[in-house]
Amino acid sequence: MKNFSSLNQVNDKILKIKQLLVELETEAEQFPALSRNSKRALASVKMLELNISDIVAFDLNDS
Amino acid sequence: MSGQEYWNPVLETMPLEKLKVLQFKKFKRILNWAYTRSKFHKALYESAGLTPDDIRTFDDIKKIPKVEKSMMRGIQNKDPFPYGDALCVPLEEVSAFRQTSGTTGQPVYQPDTWQDWEWWSECWSFVLWAQGYRPKDRVFIPFGYNIFVAFWAGHYAAEKLGCEVVPGGVLDTQSRILKIKELNATAMMATPTYVLRMADVAKNKMGIDPGELSINKITCAGEPGAGIPSTKKRMEDAWGAKVYDHSGATEIGAWSYECNKQPCGMHVNEAMFLVEIEDLDTGEIIEEPGRKGKMIITALDRTAQPCIRFDSKDVIEWDSQACSCGRSFRLIKGGVIGRADDITKVKGVLLSPGAIEEVVRSIAGLGDEFEVIVDKQGDIDRIKLKVELMPEVTKLSIENILKDQLRLKTNLGYKIEYYDYGSLPRYEVKAKRFKDLRKKNIEKECRL
Repeated sequence: MKNFSSLNQVNDKILKIKQLLVELETEAEQFPALSRNSKRALASVKMLELNISDIVAFDLNDS
Repeated sequence: MSGQEYWNPVLETMPLEKLKVLQFKKFKRILNWAYTRSKFHKALYESAGLTPDDIRTFDDIKKIPKVEKSMMRGIQNKDPFPYGDALCVPLEEVSAFRQTSGTTGQPVYQPDTWQDWEWWSECWSFVLWAQGYRPKDRVFIPFGYNIFVAFWAGHYAAEKLGCEVVPGGVLDTQSRILKIKELNATAMMATPTYVLRMADVAKNKMGIDPGELSINKITCAGEPGAGIPSTKKRMEDAWGAKVYDHSGATEIGAWSYECNKQPCGMHVNEAMFLVEIEDLDTGEIIEEPGRKGKMIITALDRTAQPCIRFDSKDVIEWDSQACSCGRSFRLIKGGVIGRADDITKVKGVLLSPGAIEEVVRSIAGLGDEFEVIVDKQGDIDRIKLKVELMPEVTKLSIENILKDQLRLKTNLGYKIEYYDYGSLPRYEVKAKRFKDLRKKNIEKECRL
């Protein structure tokens, strides 16, 4: 794939996004617009994990 | 590796040995999840003397007890209401309710979280991308959105791909056809029964040739028709469009799909699901192609109400051929062949209703609709087939070929009744064309 970083690099980015969203969700309990949208975004980030992070975590990565 | 060909070019071309490692690790993960969060799953595994730690190899998976739909019916309507002890998340995390259609009995409730709905549409994204859906498509969904899961996830997946989605919910059939025409919709999702019904209404009630409309691809689900060659051909001829098969279920997810190479079968999404095929008589797991059995399936990432070794009753077989599309996800030959519930013995012969459909729809002089009724006179099984003759077609011109083909494909003789075109019942979603009246006068209606 043209211009595609290695799966490890992509996974690093996914984990960073996840970490930030978890922080936003937990820090903003009194701010529903922030906490609920962060939680919802985490559901989408989980799909990135299923598509990419599992491959890295389970050591199935060739790239 | 082309990023345009596959939704996930890494997973869809991963060698089978690696896919099996992925499946095993994901299986262990979902097993642990269910064991530690659901009283139902914990009790089920402990009754077999197992904990997740006992599953050490891929072969150990078959030690895990299967889940039958009847077991799910048994635990529901209890706390946490209405899902009962299979629920693995706090009730306040459930964001969507759906239920099974009840075709085979009392409906089963299905709770899902936001993450589960993202997962549903992710699985459908594999389906639609493989069938050529792209952001330029305008997708019309002629389906009454409701408590059934059908096409909801297809809708969300099409949005995720970047398509423009037109929900054809409460419109009637003629209004839907007019909307497709008005908007130049390019793709559609529906049951095979309804795809044929729409074509019939367009042509015979509205004077519109559906082949002249702008639809260029149709995704079918809910019934096996798009995997039955003669039914697929009728749909493709009527609409001038490619028709693709897909199979999913409320309790399972969107687990298989036909790709744009139309390989006479469907790919199992082996990154998201573990499919095992069990011999109908011995219960042995079938590894090799060419032997039919029923599907035992695990959704590897579904969390609120996990689907682990679910006895789906779908009858399938592995294909020995790889697909020219390059996906390593294995093919099931001819899609879902039928349901173990539907495959019944008549006069001592195993009968699959799909075989009758294949014959009827391969004969041009017959209409799309038909009915099969099995009953008993004394100790003798009888099987009646009702068919419709197309206008200006005579019974004499059809009878011999129909009887010969039925005998050839099903090894059975039929009492055939001929009806005028348009006189048998029409269905809007799933059809009920097979009636087995032999059991205690209770009519058992099975989907074809």
